[in-house]
Formats: sequence, C-alpha cells, structure tokens
Amino acid sequence: MGAIWDIIGNEVTYSSAMRFAVLLLFAASGEWVAERAGTLNISVEGMILAGAFGSAVSYDITGSIPLAILMGAFCGFLVSTIQANLSHRLPADQFVVGLTINILILGLVGFLDNVIEPSVDKASQATIPGLASIPVIGPALFDQPWPLYLVYPLVPAVWWLVYRTRWGLEVRASGEDPNSADVSGIRVNKRRRQTIYLTGLTSGLGGAYLVFGAVGAFADSIVGGRGFIAIAAVIFGGWTLKGSVAGCLLFGAVVSFRLSLPDQGYDGINTEFLTALPYIVTIVGMAAFAHRVRPPAALAKPFLRGLD
Amino acid sequence: MVEPGTASGAPSGSATSNAGPTVGSTEGSILTTNQWRDDPPAVEVVGITKRYGQVSACDSVDLVFHRGQIHGVLGENGAGKSTLMKILIGLVVPDAGQVIIDGKPSVITDPIDAAEKGIGMVHQHFSVVNALTVWENVALGDQMRLNPEAIRDEIGDLSRHYGLDIEPNAVVGTLTAGLRQRVEIIKCLRRSPRTVILDEPTSVLSPGESEILFEGLRRAVEDEGMAIALVSHKLDEILGATDLVTIMRRGKVVAHQKTSDSDAAGLARAMVGRPVALRSEREVPSSETDSPKRRPTKPKQEHASLEIDSVHANGDDGRVLLDGLDLKVYRGEIVGLAGVEGNGQRPLADLLSSLMSLASGSVRVDGKPIACGRAGAMAKAGISVIPEDRHDSGCVLEMSVAENLFLADPNLVARRGILDHRKMTYRAERLIERFAISCEGPDAPMWSLSGGNQQRVVLAREMAHHPRVLVAAQPTRGLDVGAIEYMSEQLRQAAAAGVAVLLISTELDEILDLASRLVVLSKGRIVGEMSREAVDIERLGLMMGGAVP
Ligand SMILES: Nc1ncnc2c1ncn2[C@@H]1O[C@H](COP(=O)(O)OP(=O)(O)OP(=O)(O)O)[C@@H](O)[C@H]1O
Ligand SMILES: [Mg+2]
Repeated sequence: MGAIWDIIGNEVTYSSAMRFAVLLLFAASGEWVAERAGTLNISVEGMILAGAFGSAVSYDITGSIPLAILMGAFCGFLVSTIQANLSHRLPADQFVVGLTINILILGLVGFLDNVIEPSVDKASQATIPGLASIPVIGPALFDQPWPLYLVYPLVPAVWWLVYRTRWGLEVRASGEDPNSADVSGIRVNKRRRQTIYLTGLTSGLGGAYLVFGAVGAFADSIVGGRGFIAIAAVIFGGWTLKGSVAGCLLFGAVVSFRLSLPDQGYDGINTEFLTALPYIVTIVGMAAFAHRVRPPAALAKPFLRGLD
Repeated sequence: MVEPGTASGAPSGSATSNAGPTVGSTEGSILTTNQWRDDPPAVEVVGITKRYGQVSACDSVDLVFHRGQIHGVLGENGAGKSTLMKILIGLVVPDAGQVIIDGKPSVITDPIDAAEKGIGMVHQHFSVVNALTVWENVALGDQMRLNPEAIRDEIGDLSRHYGLDIEPNAVVGTLTAGLRQRVEIIKCLRRSPRTVILDEPTSVLSPGESEILFEGLRRAVEDEGMAIALVSHKLDEILGATDLVTIMRRGKVVAHQKTSDSDAAGLARAMVGRPVALRSEREVPSSETDSPKRRPTKPKQEHASLEIDSVHANGDDGRVLLDGLDLKVYRGEIVGLAGVEGNGQRPLADLLSSLMSLASGSVRVDGKPIACGRAGAMAKAGISVIPEDRHDSGCVLEMSVAENLFLADPNLVARRGILDHRKMTYRAERLIERFAISCEGPDAPMWSLSGGNQQRVVLAREMAHHPRVLVAAQPTRGLDVGAIEYMSEQLRQAAAAGVAVLLISTELDEILDLASRLVVLSKGRIVGEMSREAVDIERLGLMMGGAVP
C-alpha cells in the first residue's frame, strides 16, 4: 500500500503517465471518429508504427523535428489509404485488412530498421511559464517535450468536427444507420474512408510523438500493442470523446504505474499482470457500464446499397 | 462554432436543392402567374422495366406526373410501386426505359442527384436515423454549412405551414412512429422539391394526422405547383386526396383514370383483379348474426387465456410507459385495443414479446404466471406477437425467407440443435403457399420481398407454432386491400379455433370490423371497455382522447 501512496504523491508519476496517455490520445481521437462512422479500425497499430518509423527516417535525413513529424503523419495516412480503400471501396473485410496491415507493417519496419538504422534525438523540453508550476499536475501537463502539446488542440478540434460540422453529422449518421444515410444522399463509404484517413493522420502524429516526445529513440518494438490499447480506450469510453479521453488517461496511468513500481523499489507485483491491467479494466468497465453505453449501431458492419 | 450571423438568413441560391423552404415567400408570385400549368409534365416515365431474377418488378411502365396534381398510385403488395419510385429517386437503376424531367430526358444517379433535379421522396420504410435529433435528421444530406439555428427555424416554419408539429431537439428514436414519419415528411419538404413522392406516408398516421397532411399537400400543390405521387393502399385516402389514379398489377399499369370517375369497389377490383369485400361494406358483427360459438364463454372459463394484472413499467428515462394496465383476453374472442398512437401500445407489445420487464404487476397465461422480461418466456407460454414495426423486431432482412420463418423457434426444423435444411425448405414452401407469400422461394433474402409480403412472412411465422394467445400490433399496416381481407380472415379463423386474439390498432375501422370487445388505451392504462354491439363512437373518441366521460 505504501508504494501506491508514494506513486500518487509523486509528480514524476503524473509526468510519465501523461507521456503514455498522450500517444493513446493521438491515436484514439482518430480511432474514435472512425468508429463513430462505423469502422472498427484495428490497423491503428500499424499506422502508429509507420508514423514512428517514417518520422525517424526523415529526421535522420533532414535533421528537422517539425518536418519529421509532418512526415510521420503522412506515413500514417499512407497506411490508412490501404485500409480505407480495401475495406470501404473494395468489399474486403475490415478486420482481415487491418490484421494484414499490422503484420505487414511490423515486418516491413523491422526489415527497413535493420537496413537504415535511423538515429533520432528527443525533442526539447518546453516549459509553459506559470502553468507548469501548478502543484502535482502542472509539470505533467505543461512541462513536457514540445510535440506533446500538439494533442491539446487536436482533441477539441476532433470534437468540433464530429459534433458541430455537417461532415460530422454525416459521419455519425453513417455509423448509426448507413441505409438511412444513403437514402438521404450521403456517400456512406466515402465518409467512412475519410474518417480512416483522419485516423491515419492522428496515429501517424502519435507515432512521431512517441519517437521525439516520449522515447527519443526508435526500435521496431516501440509501439508494442498500444494501438490496441487506444481501441480499448474508445470502447471503454463508451464511444464518447470524453470517455475515450478518460480511458486514455487511465490506461496511461496504468502503464506508467507498471514502469514506476520497480523504480520505487517495489518489485513484488507481477509486471505481466500490470501489462494486462488496461485490458482487464476495459472488460470490467464494459461489464459495469454496458447497459448504459451503446456502440454506434452499424459499427463494423460493411455498407452495401440494396439491403434496404 | 457556427456563427449565427453568416447563414441564418434565408439561404440564397434557390437553384440548388437545399434552398430551404420557400414557404410563404414564393406563394404570392406563383399564385398570380400560375405559369406551371403550362409547363411540360414534372416527371414522365416511359417504358420503365426492372427485373429481379424471374420477377418483373416493373414491366414497361408509362406514367406522367403533372404539376399541380396529386397522382395516386395503387397496387397490390409486390405490384412494383416502390420499385418505380426508387427508380425516380435514383436508388434503383432500371433495366430499360427513360425518365423525363421537365421535358428533358434525364438519368438519375442517386438521391442527391434526384434532389438537384427537384425530386424528393418520403420512404415507405423509415429513413431517419434514430440516434440523431430531429433537426439533425432534417439537415442530413444538406450540401451547405451546418447551421442548427436556421434549421430549427425552418422546421418551425414548415411545421406551421403544413400543420405538422414537431420538437426539433427531440431524439428521433424516442418518438412514436407517427412522429418519426412526420420528421421524414418535413425533411423532404424542406428541400422544396418540385415533385414529391410519398410511399405509403399515412400507414403510421392517425386519421386526423393524415387529414392534416393532405391539407398541407393540397396547399403545396395548388399554391406552389408541386407534383405529388402518392402511393397508398387506403382507397378512401386515394379517393379523397388525389386527382388522378394509376393502378399497377404485377409490374404493369392496368388502369389509369380520373379520381372523380372512380369508386372504392371499382379501384379494389382493378387492383386485385377480382371483387373484394371491403371493410366498410361488410356488416357490423353483432351477437345475432355471429355464429354463437365465436362468442366468448367467459363464465365457464376459469382463467382468461391472457391475464394482465395492474402492470406498471417505466422507460429508461423514467417516463411512465404502462400505468396500472389491466386486461383479460378469453379464448375465442378478439379484443380490440383502441387508442391514439404512443399511449402504451408499443410497450404492451414489447412486454408480450418478452422485450420489457415490469416495475410491478403480473402477466398470466391460462392462470400460470410468466416471468416478464426473460427472453423467450412469453413465446414459450404460447403468446405470439405480430410486431408493429417489422423492421425493428419483426424480421431479419439479411436472412432468407425460410430462416426468418423459423427464427423464433428453430426447433421446429432442427434435430438436436442441428438445422435440417430439407425439412426447413419443405416447411417453408408449405407456409409460403398457405400464406400466399410472393417471393422467389424459401431461399430468397427477406429484403427482396415487398413490404406487404414481409408482413405475411411474420404472420406465417407467428401462426406456425399454434399460439394460445395471438397479439397483432397494427397487423395490416402497409397491406393492400386483398391482403387486409386475408389478414382479417386469418385473425377471425384463429379466434374461431380458440386462440385468444388481442388486436392492437390505431385504426378504429379495423377494430370495429374485427373485435368482439373493445378496450381503450390511454396514457398507459385501460380507460374504458365496451362490447361491439354497444359501441358508442362518440364516447369512444372521447376516451381515446383521454377525456373519460
Ligand atoms: N432488391 C430486390 N431484389 C429482388 N427482388 C426485389 C427487390 N426489390 C423488389 N423486389 C421484388 O419486386 C417486386 C415489387 O416490389 P415492390 O417493393 O416494388 O412492391 P410494392 O408495390 O411497393 O409492394 P408493397 O405494397 O408491399 O410495398 C416484389 O415481388 C419484390 O419481391
Ligand atoms: Mg412498397
């Protein structure tokens, strides 16, 4: 019990929790939109990895972090074009496509990483004066490597897109009732593809952030299943953005908890158990809230005209 | 956020499909010129043919819709009416033929294209998204920037103009069928289409609501020069609201006449191809003319077949759905549950389909209490339900006719949990024959059937396992006169065979025609009861309106 208090009282814990949570936030904000449009987009894992590797290589070549981050977003987007067009233009199954992409990217990146071996640096720390000195959470939120701050405008922007624009309305309609949306004159599969592109962009950004903001190095194991945790966060959040953000923060905390326990000199807790914790929390959360949350009615259902 | 200043005014550029309502503003100018009377026909179809496998849904159909006229389209279930209309809206591509809009041959590629060409449609099956609010649904499909304020205002204007009241911020899924239909109509009218297609718009409306709708449409036709195509099975509606009527049978136009030259019996005959006994012409069932064995033997029977005892139920949001409802249905009788839509009909049907649990009260079949809300408990006790909305809970569109027939009770065609495909096909074929379901065969997907035939599948399924209690919720909604005659006969036969029949209907005619006893539902409870012979329509109306005398 003492260990837990040590951790809760420690600002470092919050900073490291935030670092993990932010990667999830990047990926989950796009994934959330894709799921609202009706795609359970599991290739988000591959998108993050592609973004991470692409940004690492481009930094190795150009030496510019901003450029590298842009490149990361672009690489994530490239991967998303494969997912989107195979599953929502051609009639391939979205899960089969997603699974294949994840395996493909992992293999490809592993191979290219050995050939290129990109070397990277960590982005500089940016302290926001004033705000950073708020006790306990100040450093976590406002004293971080600068790429982390990109997530702050991203989340509200995504919310605004989905709830305040015509595009967002059409996205939600596509995820709830594609037949009705179609009859209303909405190109359901086009909207769904676009949300996958968005996921590619945000996940690619997330990958770049992971390289420059969180780790400061690249390895092909750098993502390590966090794309799936991002999906779990969306589910945990009951397909609301608020809930998804809460899920990301919670899972970020759980991951950093696992890492900081040994640092604090406590190693009695089984780390495998802690690795599994986010998923356990998701399952428990879903069991507890299942009657109150409702996934988009057409989630993971392909849309073909004529099934009227 | 959307700045209210930029787009809140009347949207400009009325050439686009989304020019907002021109309600009021254009009335005057059009009234004075009446130029639309000389225009070429709004829509003309020439030789349209559409085949689905062996079935000719449309067989070289020629039809003209003129401005300033309401054009009725009648036809049996499966006659091809919806298919023709879907071709006009760009959802179905015809095999042959041409569509001419305003004198110009046109190809309609999709609903947006149709809207741009001035054609709007209110669909037979709901095309609103339940998870969205009313105004969001109305805005769906717009090409301009989203401006919630302006849309809500437009909805208000349209509601007033056409007499279709609606709360713009309500979530559509919480509304009654009638109100959802209203959303759909408003959504269509808001695009100020020049041609409006209404596919059975009143099948879920109360007579009063229908009347209001037709008044509004008549105004639109006369003031704004709209052309309206009205698909309906209700003969009195066609006779009352249209100028011209076209009758289709098996994909072909078989008659085309002025409404003023038509009468109900003639239309029905042309539609079905034989004389039909219309409800209004049939005698009132009374105890003298009725066969005595059909009268309930109440005193002799110890328990009612179905006994519902002061049930209370609340919705997820805490709304009271059923409020101390008491009801008994004895074997061999048809009890008609009258009432205005949204007074507890749906929760009651849900309760009897084991879809809802109770706050208090009990349900008994032949005296034995049933666990409310446990999946399948009601069906197991012998209660069969023909649900109100066949798409919500009636059938699975993606599955075949045969699979749908045995969905509720696969054990009829399975041995030790394994489906016997031969047996299933054989039984399905017999049901298809017995219930005269028009489809390509047991393996035809459910979605390929016309609305009325889907309803027959549901009836066949429910009758297949010999229920003790049959609950029919709006069973003739969307059926043609021939099918209504058939359905009514089935319900009568079921009662004669000793089934306790509960008929839930918002159509008083239907209840008066079939029921031997009437009960009135208002605000989730039974507010009155009368026998068929002693019916007092005026008092009935008052009770339905919630003003219990
Ligand atoms: N997508 C489809 N695939 C195969 N057959 C179809 C399809 N759509 C319609 N049909 C068939 O075409 C015929 C005409 O159907 P349609 O829906 O136009 O009838 P309808 O006149 O609107 O009938 P209802 O009054 O029951 O709505 C029916 O026999 C139906 O089974
Ligand atoms: Mg139809």
